[in-house]
Amino acid sequence: MRPDIEARVAEREEILAVLRDVLIQRLHLRREPDELDPDAPLFGSGFGLDSLDAVELVVCLESELGVRVADGALMRGSFRSLNTLVDLVLAERAAAGGQP
Amino acid sequence: MSVADQVMAIRRSAALSPGDHIACARVSGADAHEAIDRVSPRELYVRSGQMLHTLLLDPDARPVADVYLCADEDDFLVLAEGPDGPALAELLAAGARGLDAAVTDLGASHGVLCLNGPYAWEVLAEVSTPDVIGLPYLGFFHEERFTCFRAGSAGEYGYVLLTARERLDELRATVLDVGARFDLAEAGLEALERAALEAFFWNPRRESPAGVTPIEMQLQWRVSYGRAFTGAGALAARRGAARSRAVLIAGEGPLAGGAEVTAGGEPAGTLLHAGASPTRGDWLAVALLDLSIAHPGVELDAGGAPARVISAPAVNNRSLYVDPQRHSYASREADAFPPLVRPS
Repeated sequence: MRPDIEARVAEREEILAVLRDVLIQRLHLRREPDELDPDAPLFGSGFGLDSLDAVELVVCLESELGVRVADGALMRGSFRSLNTLVDLVLAERAAAGGQP
Repeated sequence: MSVADQVMAIRRSAALSPGDHIACARVSGADAHEAIDRVSPRELYVRSGQMLHTLLLDPDARPVADVYLCADEDDFLVLAEGPDGPALAELLAAGARGLDAAVTDLGASHGVLCLNGPYAWEVLAEVSTPDVIGLPYLGFFHEERFTCFRAGSAGEYGYVLLTARERLDELRATVLDVGARFDLAEAGLEALERAALEAFFWNPRRESPAGVTPIEMQLQWRVSYGRAFTGAGALAARRGAARSRAVLIAGEGPLAGGAEVTAGGEPAGTLLHAGASPTRGDWLAVALLDLSIAHPGVELDAGGAPARVISAPAVNNRSLYVDPQRHSYASREADAFPPLVRPS
């Protein structure tokens, strides 16, 4: 695998691990980390999160990953799956001048 | 109307579709709950009027049916995509063996319509009752003419209407008549499947090759480990041993199911199902890729066409933003909604 792809995958995996931990430890999802597929729906029938969980998730994004969600309503598209959350974190890091 | 226009109706207004691809059965009797519990790969925590979204697996843990288990007082209604009515009844009968539970295939006596779109709720509220607006996702209710299930595969407000076969044409005509004011379109199975592809909603007709399990298909949320059900042993054995994952990929040029995928010149997987995305204006496919590269942003060659892995879903469904308490189809132009595609 090309080094740049390897680095990108590694960064995504690292963020995924943090998010999975948040779902299990903070949102009390009764699943093992390997059961939390990255493209599975977070809300509704998927992981079954609700609006209260969404608020907690916003708090955790800031405390665990340093991402401040400015407008919850507009960010709904980023709260679809673990992968869309990873995209959000990476975009915020890039905007802040961090890693791309 | 073209398939693309049908999909855009699903994304922007509402569309009515025949539900011939959905099998329906009733499980009744004193042991109906136990019979369903035996076949369900997921804990059966549903009250009457609620639906559980799960799967049915074959003995090798390959998912063969996309299933809603619907608690209806002491009975269960089962909606399924994948098997036809007799095959569904057979799968359910395996769970009912030795119990006081009878399985009835409703295919001969009932028909199904599907209503999807960000304003599907508004159409249905006029066809039925405004109470439809309060129907939660994975809830259902009976009314005189039909049973209404809140479920769909497009990622929009979705409803499945089950009615007696002799009433099907009348109900369809009523929905179309009311729907005219909402620019309701008629959409076929191809449009539904294309919308489901955009939503990364598993398609049992096209995305269940031999050898895969819910682990590879990212469907683990629909199963509970530690339960006894058909395929449970094979599924447990695969855990930790899976080497591939189904992901969404996007490309500017045509993609075709069955195409081989490479990454950096190395074999990386196969396309299971592909199609043009009317909402995005590009092509999408579900690709079964080597686990090491099944991550958004990885660039691929898919049968000669450049493509890249993307996060699911591929569209920013308008239904996420349409609130029945504040919005209506009539005011859609004045309502500011985010674009249907998230910026990449």
